[in-house]
Amino acid sequence: MERQEIKAKLKEILSLTDADSGLLEGELDEGLRLREDCGFSSVGMLYTVIGIEEMFGIRFDSVGLGSFVTVGDVVDFIGEKTK
Amino acid sequence: MKTASAEIFRKYTTDEVFDRIKPCSSVSDMWRKVSAEYADTVAINDGGETHTFAELESDAALFRGLLPDGGRIGIIAPNSYGFVKAFIAAVTAGKTCLIMPAGLPAEAVYGLSMQLGLAAVVHTDETADRMSVLSKAAPNVKIISAADSGKEPVPASDVPGDVPAVIMFTGGTTGKSKGAVLSNRAFMRGTVNGCYGIKDVFGQKYLLVLPFSHVFGLIRNLMTSLYTGSTLFICRSNKDMFRDIAVFRPTIMVMVPALAEMALTLSKKFGRNMLGQDLRTIICGAAAVPPYLIREYASMGITLLPGYGLTESANLVSGNPESLKKPDSVGIMYPGMEYRIEDGELWLKGENMMDGYIGDDNSAAYTDGWFRTGDLVRIDDDGFLYITGRIKEIIVLPNGENISPAEVEASFSALNCVQDCELYEDKTENGSSVLVLEVLPRMTELGKLPEEERAGRLRAMIEEVNASLPAYKRYNRLCIRDTDFPRTPAMKILRHGKKQ
Repeated sequence: MERQEIKAKLKEILSLTDADSGLLEGELDEGLRLREDCGFSSVGMLYTVIGIEEMFGIRFDSVGLGSFVTVGDVVDFIGEKTK
Repeated sequence: MKTASAEIFRKYTTDEVFDRIKPCSSVSDMWRKVSAEYADTVAINDGGETHTFAELESDAALFRGLLPDGGRIGIIAPNSYGFVKAFIAAVTAGKTCLIMPAGLPAEAVYGLSMQLGLAAVVHTDETADRMSVLSKAAPNVKIISAADSGKEPVPASDVPGDVPAVIMFTGGTTGKSKGAVLSNRAFMRGTVNGCYGIKDVFGQKYLLVLPFSHVFGLIRNLMTSLYTGSTLFICRSNKDMFRDIAVFRPTIMVMVPALAEMALTLSKKFGRNMLGQDLRTIICGAAAVPPYLIREYASMGITLLPGYGLTESANLVSGNPESLKKPDSVGIMYPGMEYRIEDGELWLKGENMMDGYIGDDNSAAYTDGWFRTGDLVRIDDDGFLYITGRIKEIIVLPNGENISPAEVEASFSALNCVQDCELYEDKTENGSSVLVLEVLPRMTELGKLPEEERAGRLRAMIEEVNASLPAYKRYNRLCIRDTDFPRTPAMKILRHGKKQ
């Protein structure tokens, strides 16, 4: 899957969560930090994990979203899993 | 003073089902009946590993042989078959179980064991590391792994109803956490009351996502499931909830509103019911339930039943079997609940009430034997209860007017585009008092509008509601949040000025 496509779909999922909506305008910034910049709560994290698994048909298995620092890290992970 | 009766619930199910709901004097009394009647039914499905009622009893019988003399046993374990086995074994041996939250640190496990004079503490592999302080500092307290068994089976004992069954910690969102002592009688009243107001309650499939260290998980989920000969699937991680649902296909789930909201949002996003085709009922509580959730789930063929309860009342006080007709209500009082309303505050007595807080003089909690809930309520002509606020959260304005934030917030939460909101008092630079309303928009609804119109339309709708309120209840400042509210572990809003 193309990186742009992953980012567009990820943005759709993030828009359902409690992520700061101001950060989601325009193209998704890969440098955004999930906790510090997006302000995710534990519910937001849960939404994101389940949303990504459902949207991309992949599994996080034992990898938690907590192991990712930035949006770019998540895009890398999805890219690897959907290869 | 009024006492609620069971008959009022008869019309919500068939006579056959209603007449099967019978009181039990103790957990032993219930367990002997159900473990024989449903012997070959699967009682617990722990992530795919199944255990019938008969197997659970034979495992519990061997476990009883490990329990030392002495009345109190601590259990620290994540939701698991090991927890259920140890819990059933201990309570039906006449022990009192102190249910510790699974995340409690080793020092606190030791501290509680000393403070409450525990004879033993049961752990699972996941919590074995929390025995480190206890094992060195208190050699007299027996440490037992839930995976172990005694040599000979020991049958359940006859346990009088007044023997304490559990000590449960209250949430502690408004102060220090306290241990509520629930007798076998109270615990079973709570368990049986969980059966009322639901059309099909026996032989169901429950999927558990709430912790056993919370009464909503222990009583309404585990105990009512066992009582009704149902199967309880233990979801080990909330992250896997929807995968577990797809495999197990539950018919009933017990949830907090934040989780029900999440399941709804994801179902809409992915165009399929994420809770599975077999789900018919959601029992929802532990925080205010938005009417939007009731309506949306009804359109999916799922009945969402809100309720109200406390740790101190063995989980349940009231439940709403007419949630579509009266979506703002937390329902009618469960059988055996004695209640009165004093200055708007709900006072309770009855079989399901706790004996008191352990190690506390309790005088602040009771007046003339009535437990004061601290919740402000009203009851309509049909006997339906409405929560209008918390005494401790009441805002007293400089002119003496009293405002209950929950009551005002409910007016705004009725809007589909409002997911959650909080009203609080703030001071301006010159010290005058202002009311602030913070709103978290519900993006699944607001997102239906063109992007450039969203902010303006949302504000207009909220302002319209504000203008409809009595002048002194109107907010002076509106703040639309970009991010969720800070929340307590039970996903309730951590209210302004309160520390977690």
